[in-house]
Amino acid sequence: MTWIAFANLLINGLIEGLVVALPALAMTLVMGVNRFPNAATGDFLTTGAYAAVAVQMLGGWPLWAAALASMAATAVVSAGSYTLIFRKLAGRPMVSSMLAAIGLGFLLRSLISFFAGHDQRTFDLPLVRAWNFGGVRLLPTDVAIAGIAVLCLLVVFVLIYKTSFGRQLRAVADSADLARASGIRAGGLMLSLWVLVGALSAIGGVLLGMKAIVSPEMGWESLIPAFAAMVLGGIGSPVGAVLGALLLCVAQELAVPLLGPSYKLVLSFVVLALVLLLRPAGIMGRVQLVR
Amino acid sequence: MQRRNFVKLGGAAAALQCLPSIGFSQQGEVFRIGSLTPITGAGSPYGPGMQQAIRLAVDEVNAAGGAGGRKLELFTEDDQTKPDAAVLAAKKLIEVNKVQAVLGTWASGVTLAVMPLTDAAGIIQMNVSGAPTISTLDTKDLVWRFQATNDRFGAAFAEICAKRGFKRPATMAFNNASGLGNVEGFTKVWEKRGGKVAAHVTYEPSRPSYRSELQKILAAKPDVIVMGSYLPDTTIILREWFQSGADNQWVIPGWAANPDLVKALGAEVCEGIISVETVSNEKSTSYAQFDAAFTKATGKAASTNIYAAMAYDMVISLALAMEAAGPKATVEQVNAKLREVSNAPGTAVYSFAEGKTQLGKKAKVNYEGASSKLDFDKFGDATPDFGVFIIEKGQLVRRDVVSITV
Repeated sequence: MTWIAFANLLINGLIEGLVVALPALAMTLVMGVNRFPNAATGDFLTTGAYAAVAVQMLGGWPLWAAALASMAATAVVSAGSYTLIFRKLAGRPMVSSMLAAIGLGFLLRSLISFFAGHDQRTFDLPLVRAWNFGGVRLLPTDVAIAGIAVLCLLVVFVLIYKTSFGRQLRAVADSADLARASGIRAGGLMLSLWVLVGALSAIGGVLLGMKAIVSPEMGWESLIPAFAAMVLGGIGSPVGAVLGALLLCVAQELAVPLLGPSYKLVLSFVVLALVLLLRPAGIMGRVQLVR
Repeated sequence: MQRRNFVKLGGAAAALQCLPSIGFSQQGEVFRIGSLTPITGAGSPYGPGMQQAIRLAVDEVNAAGGAGGRKLELFTEDDQTKPDAAVLAAKKLIEVNKVQAVLGTWASGVTLAVMPLTDAAGIIQMNVSGAPTISTLDTKDLVWRFQATNDRFGAAFAEICAKRGFKRPATMAFNNASGLGNVEGFTKVWEKRGGKVAAHVTYEPSRPSYRSELQKILAAKPDVIVMGSYLPDTTIILREWFQSGADNQWVIPGWAANPDLVKALGAEVCEGIISVETVSNEKSTSYAQFDAAFTKATGKAASTNIYAAMAYDMVISLALAMEAAGPKATVEQVNAKLREVSNAPGTAVYSFAEGKTQLGKKAKVNYEGASSKLDFDKFGDATPDFGVFIIEKGQLVRRDVVSITV
């Protein structure tokens, strides 16, 4: 394999990793604070993508405006699902919330396919030829996707690590009782967290739709990679989720010349298994526990 | 007591409801057909038309006085394009309606799920599915296929590539029976002709990107890439291929390279793609008659749904076999006549009435169907002709029709 082929695969892996990082981050935030794997994250992605498609179709808006509208719509869906479902299940074992999330996912998917049908959809987005740097090809669309993903990740990290919202969130994540005792009001905090999760998922869905196609199953199918990335990074660790997503996707792409495309998925799970064997808490898991 | 009375009454009512159908079936003068087409699900663009075509053919046979002294009776169910739903529906058709043939399954998964039931019941199964395994799993020779197998699609791809002078084909396949069947059929025939396949990639479905797969296959510098694929993955692959700036040609099955693909990608990306789909037996009188009847019944031309003509042929060939087998023939005896009335030699006939007259004169008949010449091989598979469509300025334009010999 020449270095050019290698560089191309590396670029593919990084961009795919950034797209997976958003749902992985959304999932790990809920996992860290509400303590259950939100299996509806994938369908929040789908909701976001369809909302953007709908806005483009009905309003003829450019994609960036449609994406902003879909962030708002998905945030409402996400916060609504917290208020109506997950808040009520808060005291119960993790399994009941997880099952409710699976059910919510089914509901969203069915509603979407009921109203929008099963046909695939695409965003109204101009196709541009790749830039060619002596064989290393870079798609302008991919650069945009990577840029938006990085920007979103930065915004989320600033929110979590640099604002009082983030500090309170981390306090609740560490110990909800202690946080309440020290005067943090969990209600509004949780609602803002779910608004953030919804908005993040919507962007994830739009980016995925820009790269692939928009279909009712798109989010559900990307749930497993996101879940794997979250576990790999260390459950509940935001930085870990992003690192996990990048590591898994890059490993997958670099495996193509060795294993062929049909088995690259397997390799990503080999990486997952190895990391968990050597570091059961995941890449960043320990940091979270010590703090 | 109240409740017990209610149960008794309910039971009696249910029993009474069964009576008319029992009384009807005991006349022994009907042959019961179950239509099992996809009214909902992925096959829903085709299933309703197929059901309509089956109904038209049943009416035609009954109008001609029935087949083998029996009228046809039709029961319809929706297979929902889902194997589990199809199994339930097939069970109902077999056990409740006591059908002697199940016609019209579309998806391969559905046909494969229904076959064991029809085989166990010893009744005829007719389908339009592509999976090659259907041929070999049909041990009792009760299963009849009216669409070309994926294997034969592949053979047609090879014929088309040779005709168009391609030298370095590469293949890409979706990792399932249909996708692999397409490209394996292609490779077999292409190599038999002395050609070489430059590269092959099998890809997993539902990926956000296929750039590394493309990178691998484009490294072999093919002049054409032959696909075994579906619409969603084809959309993503072609978009990334166009953006990367490669300039090879594409041969893609018609269920993936269709107007929806053009809608998703735009005319510029799709320009010159070769789309291959089976076509009906368009020059035959049987097709002309069917087209007229179908258009009258549905308001749409028969060419809008190639499976409708196949579904129509199912009933006509079945009725001709019943006529040839004579009155009171068992399902097995009817089944044994299907090849005889459809394949050469024999007088070519183009409708049930024509065939009935000929059979009345003790002549051998060869039904030339609306969907294809309808010659069944030893597996019970027919081979329609293939239309070669080129996408030009966003329109699929038919440039050629190829026949393959098996």
